[in-house]
Order: sequence, then C-alpha cells, then structure tokens
Amino acid sequence: MEKEGLKGYRGAAKEKLISLKARVWGDVVVDTSRGEFRGIILPRSETADDQHIVLKLHNGYNIGLHIETVNKIEELGYRKAHYKIPEKSFPIDPDKPKVTLFGTGGTIASRLDYRTGAVIPAFSPGELYGAVPELVDVCNLNTIKLYGEFSENIGREHWIGVAKAIAEAIEDGADGIVVGHGTDTMHHTAAALTFMVQDSPVPIIIVGSQRSSDRPSSDAALNLINACRAAGYGEIAEVLVCMFGPTSDQYDLLHRGTRVRKMHSSYRSTFRTIGERPMAMVSTSEYVPLRDDYRRRRKDNLKVKLTPVFDDRVSIVYYYPNMKPDIIDSLVDNGYKGIVIAGTGLGHVNRPLYPSLKRAYEAGVHIYMTVQTLWGYVQMFVYDTGRDILDLGVVPLDNMLPEVAYVKLGWALGQTHERDEVKDIMLTPIADEITAREPIDGYLVMQGGLPEVKEFFKSYKR
Amino acid sequence: MEKKFDPTDYKMKSGLEVHHQILTERKLFCRCPAGLYSTEHDTEILRHMRPTLSELGEYDGTALMEFKTKKEVIYLLNRESICTYEMDDTPPFPINQEAVDIAIEIALMLNCKIVGEVHIARKQYLDGSIPAGFQRTTIIGVDGWVPYKDRKIKVIQLALEEDACREVSDVGHTITFRTDRLSMPLIEVVTAPDMKTPDEVADVGRIIGDVLRVTGKVRRGIGSVRQDVNVSIEGGERVEIKGVPRIPDFPPLVLNEAYRQHKLLNIRDFLTECVADKDDFKAEIFDLSDIQGRIRHRLIKKAVERRGAALKGVALRQVKGLLAMETQPELTFAHELSERVRVIACLDQLPNLLHTEDVSVTGLEPEDLDLINKAMNLADEDTGVLTWGSAEDAQTAAQEIIIRVQEAFDGIPNETRQARKDGLTDFERILPGPDRMYPDTDSPPTALDSERIARIQKGLQPKPWDIEKEYLSKGIPRHQSKRLALHPRRTYFDRIINEYDIKPKFAAWVLIDLCKHLKRQGVLLEELNDDHWNKFAELVADKRIFREGIATLITYMADHPEEDPDDFLAAHHITPLDEASLETAVLKIAGEHKGIKLQDEQNWHEVLMGFVMKEIKGCARGELIWETVQRQPR
Ligand SMILES: [Zn+2]
Repeated sequence: MEKEGLKGYRGAAKEKLISLKARVWGDVVVDTSRGEFRGIILPRSETADDQHIVLKLHNGYNIGLHIETVNKIEELGYRKAHYKIPEKSFPIDPDKPKVTLFGTGGTIASRLDYRTGAVIPAFSPGELYGAVPELVDVCNLNTIKLYGEFSENIGREHWIGVAKAIAEAIEDGADGIVVGHGTDTMHHTAAALTFMVQDSPVPIIIVGSQRSSDRPSSDAALNLINACRAAGYGEIAEVLVCMFGPTSDQYDLLHRGTRVRKMHSSYRSTFRTIGERPMAMVSTSEYVPLRDDYRRRRKDNLKVKLTPVFDDRVSIVYYYPNMKPDIIDSLVDNGYKGIVIAGTGLGHVNRPLYPSLKRAYEAGVHIYMTVQTLWGYVQMFVYDTGRDILDLGVVPLDNMLPEVAYVKLGWALGQTHERDEVKDIMLTPIADEITAREPIDGYLVMQGGLPEVKEFFKSYKR
Repeated sequence: MEKKFDPTDYKMKSGLEVHHQILTERKLFCRCPAGLYSTEHDTEILRHMRPTLSELGEYDGTALMEFKTKKEVIYLLNRESICTYEMDDTPPFPINQEAVDIAIEIALMLNCKIVGEVHIARKQYLDGSIPAGFQRTTIIGVDGWVPYKDRKIKVIQLALEEDACREVSDVGHTITFRTDRLSMPLIEVVTAPDMKTPDEVADVGRIIGDVLRVTGKVRRGIGSVRQDVNVSIEGGERVEIKGVPRIPDFPPLVLNEAYRQHKLLNIRDFLTECVADKDDFKAEIFDLSDIQGRIRHRLIKKAVERRGAALKGVALRQVKGLLAMETQPELTFAHELSERVRVIACLDQLPNLLHTEDVSVTGLEPEDLDLINKAMNLADEDTGVLTWGSAEDAQTAAQEIIIRVQEAFDGIPNETRQARKDGLTDFERILPGPDRMYPDTDSPPTALDSERIARIQKGLQPKPWDIEKEYLSKGIPRHQSKRLALHPRRTYFDRIINEYDIKPKFAAWVLIDLCKHLKRQGVLLEELNDDHWNKFAELVADKRIFREGIATLITYMADHPEEDPDDFLAAHHITPLDEASLETAVLKIAGEHKGIKLQDEQNWHEVLMGFVMKEIKGCARGELIWETVQRQPR
C-alpha cells in the first residue's frame, strides 16, 4: 500500500509525503510558503529529483512544488486512475490477407496516461483496431508479443527469437509478416533477419515510428497501415524496412534490410537506402516498386531457409586519428573473434595499428574493412597503406555498411570459425549487402543554398 | 436585437484569456530568432492531424470532429525563421530561460503564486495550427488577481507557451499556414468569469494589457496580442470567442453572445414543445440524386451541372419553424447549421444549404418545394434542408446538420466561435475537453528556486494601480493619474517633481493635457530631450515663466531645439515682473489704448486684458495680471 501510495518518490520528497500523511492520487490542498495550490498528487518520474512533489491542477496542467515550501497537505479526496485500452474484436474478412504482427517493444500504437505521460502500448488486434481502425480495411491481423524492449536493448537473443517466430508463422500460412520495432536499431535487426530468414515466400516488413502515436502528428498509424499493406499485398518477398519516405505525410519507402540506415536522430524520414535505390513506395492507395530485381511472393513451398545463429564476440572499431593499438589488443585479449573496422576514406587505419592487427589475425580473429563514409567502396589497392593493411589479413567488404558487416560477421561466426568459410560467407551477398555496382542515383545528398537545390526545394514541396 | 436585452438579467458571466507575445531574442523551445516575420517561403510540407485516444480510450469529441474534416495541412517554411524543431522533426531544446524570467515577472505583477517546478505540458490542437498537433505550454503562476472597481478579478493562471502558426487560407480540404510566428514565446493570462457586463470585460482587458505593458517586456504591434472572451448566461454553456485583437470589440461581441445563448435557450424550449424528448426526434438523410437534375434553383443547378455535386436532403421531422428562429440579429438557426457544414464538411462556398422554411426570393421555388416535399415525404410540420457537394462531403454535411439539431435540444453547445467584423460570431469548433492536455515527455521539469523569484520580485515595476493611487494622493486628478501610471516618461516625471519646486498637479497638466494639445497642433515634441525639459522645469521652478506663457515656450523650444530658451524669453520680454513692475506695465499699456472706441463700455477690462496679455503673457501669474487690469479705470 505504502509503496503504491508514494510511487516514484524517494529520499526527502518521500519522507515529506509520509510525514504529512499524503499519498499519490490524493486530491489535495497544499499549503506552501508561496501560497495555496489545489490538485491531485501524481507519481513522480524516477529520474527526477527528490525535492519536489508533482501536482496535477484541475485545469489539466502539472506543476511541481518544492518540499521546503510545503507546510501542510490536506487530502480532500482520492482519485486513482486506471488505464486500459478498450478491446474491440477485430473483424475477420476471408478475402483479406492474413498478416502476423510481432511486437518487440517499440510502440507502434499506444495510448497515453494523460496524467503521468506514460505510454500504454496498444498491441492486441482488438487494441490496435481501437487505435488504428483503418487496419480493418487492410488485412486480417494476428498479433504476437515477443518482447517488450527498447530498441537499444534488442540484440542477439531477440534476433534469433524473432527469426524463429517468423519462420513458424510463415509455415503456418501467414501472407505477410510485420515486425514492430524501435527505430534506433531497426536497421541492425533488419540485417540480422535478412541473414537468418532467407528465401521467404512472403514479405517481412519491419516498422516503427519516429513520433509516438500519442501525438496527432504521429507517423505511427500511417507506417503501420502501409507496413500491413506491404506485408499483405506487396510483391516483394524480402526483409524490408517500411518508414516515412518524404518529410511530408505522403508515403512510406520500403528499404532492403541490408542497405538501410537510420540517418537522422529525429526526422520522420530518417531511414534511407544507402548506395542504391529504395525498393518501393507504398501509400494507402498505391504500391509502386522502384526496382524489379527482387524476390517475388510465392504461394507454393512455404519453407524458409532459417539460420538463427549469432556469435556476439564481434566488434566495430570506428577508426579515428591518433587511435592507439591497445584498442585492438584489448579486443583480442578479451576474446573477441571478429572485428569490423570502419576505416577512413577508402578503408584505412594508421600505421601504429599494424602490429596489433597482425597479432589479432594470428590469434584467429577475423578482421574486415568497411568505410565510415557509408557511401562508396573500400578500395585498398589505391595507396600503399591499403596494400599494407591487406597484407595483414584484413579483408575488404566493398560497399557493405559497417553495421551490416557487424551483423553478418556475427551471423557467419555463429556458423563457422574456419577462416575461408567465414570469408566466403562474408563476401557472398545474400540481399545486396554488397552490390556489384553503385548506380548513378545511389548517392544523392543535396546541399542547401545551391541555386538548383533552392529551385528544387521550392517546387518539390515535400 | 430585442430592444431591451440586458445580459445582467440573465446572470451573464464572462472571462478573458489574454495571449501576449513576450519580448525575447529567441523562440521558446529552439534557438530560432523571435519576431522575424516574412511573407516569403522556401518550401512547404504537408501533414495530416490524427486524433489520439483519450483518457477513456476513446476519441475526444473535438478530435473526432477535426478528423472528420480530413484536412490536408500545408505549412509554408522560411529557412530564416524556423528550424526542424517547428516542423516537429527535432525534439525541443531546453526552455528559454529569458522567457521564463519574463513570465515569472508578469505572474508576480498579477499577484500570482509561483510554482516550485515547471512541468511542460502538451495541449492538443488538431486544427493544424501547430505541426506537432500540440502546443507546449507550462504553468508559471496560479491564483492571482487584478483590482477592479471595489473587487478583485481572479487570475486563474499564468501560462508560458509557444505561439501557433498564422493561417494563410482555408479552402475546401486544404488549410495553409505560415510558420514564422510558430513557437514564439507568449504568456497566457486566464481570468475567472468574474465580469458581469460587456463593458466590464473591456475594462478588465485594458487593466491586464496595462500591467503587461508596464513591464516593458511584451511585444507591441499587430498580432502581438490576441484575446479569447468566454461568455455564458444562466442555463447556458461556456462559449469562447477566439482571437479578438481589439478591446473595443469586446462589449458588442459579449452582448451578442449572451443574446445568442438566450435565443438558443428559447429554441431549446421550442424544440421540447415540438418533440417531447430528444430521443424521439426523428431525422432522415435522403440521397436526392434522382431529382437533383430537375431542381430549378440556380445554386443547385449550377453545382450539379458544373461541378457534378451530389444533392442530399435532410428531413427534420416535426420541428417546422426551427430554421427561421432568430439566433443572432439578422441570423437564424439555419446559420448555425450552415456554419457546421462549412467547417465540418468543408463546404465553404456559401450559401451551402437551402431549406423549406426560407420564403425569401433567394429560397426554393414552389416547383422545387413540391419535388423536395415528395422526395423526403415532408409533412406539414416537418422541415427539409438541402445540401450539396462531393458525395462524401454532402453526406458529412447532412449528418452534421442532424447532430447540430440534436444539440439544440440540450441548449447551447460548448463551442469556440470566431468574431466577425459586424460584431456577430461564426462557429469555429467544438470546445476541446480536458483530455487534450498531457505531460510532455520530451522535456524535463525545471525547478524555480526561491532566490530566482526573490531577484525578480526585487526588480519588479510598481503596479499601475498602486502608482495611480500614489499620484491621486499628490492631488493629481484621476484621469491624469491613470494616464501617468502607464506613461512611458513616468520615471522622468517623478524625478522632475522631486528635484524641482513644481507642483505635481501642474507637471501632470503639462505632460498629459498640454502635450496632447500641442501634439494635435502639430508641435514636434519629439525634438525635445531631457536637457530641454530640465531647462523648462528650471524656468518654471524659478518662476521665470508662468502658466499662460508655457505653450508658447514649449512650442518655441520644439521649433528651435538648438537655441537657448533664455534668448526667447528675453526677445519676447518675458521676464518675471513683481507686483510693482506689473502695475507700471499695465498702467502703461492702458494709457496707450485709452482712446480706443468700444461698442460696450462694460467690456473695457476684457479688451485691456487682451492687449496686456499680448505683451506680458507668461511674465506673471494670469490671476495677478487680471486683478491688476481690473484696477485700471477707463
Ligand atoms: Zn526553430
């Protein structure tokens, strides 16, 4: 009782509440040295200080009162809030595709606890129906909650778990898969699933939101609707990320799981295909493939090629000037089996690292080179330094993105530690993680201020 | 309007929300410059607003309504005035502390209690006026007051919040906003509904405006202040009139809204006479596509033929007479329906409906009425409404018409309304519920420690009503005291009356009345600086110039700011005269004019006074001169 009654409060603030016989959800009058305040005592965020009591005023605003100013608290009533998302049964339409939605923790749809601001996820089909009623017009939805993790906590075990669950759902006849995911590491998971679940007969769409669904300008509903459309109707039977295309609310882009990267910390249109074109545009009214080199949906043979393994003794070393060899040494000494270097320019590190790299190689560590420029290929023959690094046993990965290389190396080491076999897995592309050529429209980062960009910006309007 | 409609008979109550931009260098939650307006834009983006689930897991009424309108919201972006924060593509930066300080200062001026910790809230707006769909707002103080007459008007709260976009156009399903003003800091002062007459609302509006301006930290000029006026009468509901920029507009708007509520209550009674219970009220929507080609009315003909519109009919059973009932002067209940249709169904080409009760020349023709009556089975006591537009919009319109009539059974819907130029109001939207407020999870709470508040308290300007009292006690008349309390030169005025031997009443007359008079006459008073005024004060204090000569002296100084006023006095022989010299001077002038012919010998002293003043005005007090003149025989 007492714990619940003082939710989130600690230290001095907690003592104050106890000493004044006040509790959370109490409808109170607080007498302070700054005057009298009326409202409901709210739980306090655990990360906030222990010097203030939070009050919800009757006009809907929250305020804090410093405990040193508080003289007396009189409880006039008690108003505990219970929050629940209403369940509505999701109508089944035999003519619509069956889509299975897996939850890993990012909230695609949610409701807000209006008092504390806590987000209550909507997840069951019934809850989702309540939150995004348009889904009913798209598909028959089946939802399975696998995890409840923030994006940054997703890793090896989750990748393996999701991969297995997907394979199972597909064998059970799902017409498409949607994975709800936090956006920060969405591209890592997209790469992992690409490698672990190959040859899928149906689309596997990963989706999230950059603006949570508790705000009217959220991208969550649109992303979810479009993901379900891409999963249920789309022709591209691959692991794809489905997120906002332009800045405006218009359409989502489908990105191949191995070429996609989160490129802005907060924009809605943060996911971009690097060094290639996205696979398709999808909106509530259209599905427009932008390429034709994709694996098509098939109805026969519902088996996928499932390889749910991952050795997490792999690290990415993001090279910087002045890097000391002990960085490499410590990885080796700590038992790491794979190192992906994000090198400068065409794939370089400084000379002092050479002995350490040699030592690592000799210790059986698999070392691969990618570029921190993200766009472009590793090219280690151009300069002597590059050739020297190659001689140390470092393997260039062409235009594989560093994060993708990390995921793939962990996945390869999950299968074998045989140097040539690992190298063979790494250099044989599964879904464009290495491409043979960079198209001329694969690198388009416009620069503001240029006359032609100004013109484009003005007329494009999106 | 009924001749003797007096809102106090209906226990009218009115409150104010004053939104005033404050003078900061930067915006509230990002580092963009504040106050940089432009009509140019570099690009635009498109967004939709989607209602979020309310506390009860349902969509809030307003929210749902806004969603029904399915608006495409276009934002015009200028790269100088906004960044990715305003576009809702970057989370907020820590709140602008300069703005918090100003808000605390204003809250203290309004006698508010200052909160211990600032919590940022999100207030939902689905009309598109803010790209995020919510406004970040926070309470700085609560429970204050301003004095009015013999009572205190309660200030419920003082909030600090970000400004919204400026609407450029709202046509059909597209609403366009300019974003330059977005996120500029403003304070919101909310009063309790303590005002009882339309004039009181204006008075209190002025008092609050005065307090804000006294701080010198609010923005001035067009668009810097917007006021919402809320009104209710007994048995009525709180209705908010949004964004009224001018205080003189308050009284007619308040009066009219009280009148509207009174009329809507009459309509409620009328409806309950027609149909005993709201639940028994029957209304039907008819798809009139079969007859729409045969309707002769030019509006419908044009819409159907040229724009391919669909015609819908709404039969309102047993309520004949409703649509012709007055709601506002010259407006009937049909206007309430038309407004809903305009806003909710986006049918903004007016008129957007026709009805069977309209017997004017612009109404339906008899042949049309026959067709419609038949198509909708209208009985004598039924009323029919026609609306047209795209099939979807016309359907929304028809549904909305029924909703509005149903609401009329309850009396007055909770609405926000917009002021028209003629003092009447149009529907804007349903008043949002309390559910639209929730904590901003992007911003940490900030403590407002007591040292900070004490520091601001110390630098506080005196409150205008306290200064006014002070001046009154010095014998300055009320109208001048009031003006002086808010006068930009007030501190200079105080210095003058302290440093020089000048009566406060006299100084106030010069500063308020005389200066106003001279300004009207085109005297360039702005030429005068503190040195001029100091010199002036010195001349007055030394009694080298008297009341009667002052206007001339000030005019001379303003015309010749580079010259020494002493030269002027010398040139015009303005030197103070003692009584003996005055006697001599008057005697001399009287002698010079002895021979003058007068129509009426009784007027001699007046005429002589004229000659005397021409020569020695300002050299002595006027009364003294008059006494001296009166002693001169013909
Ligand atoms: Zn900005």
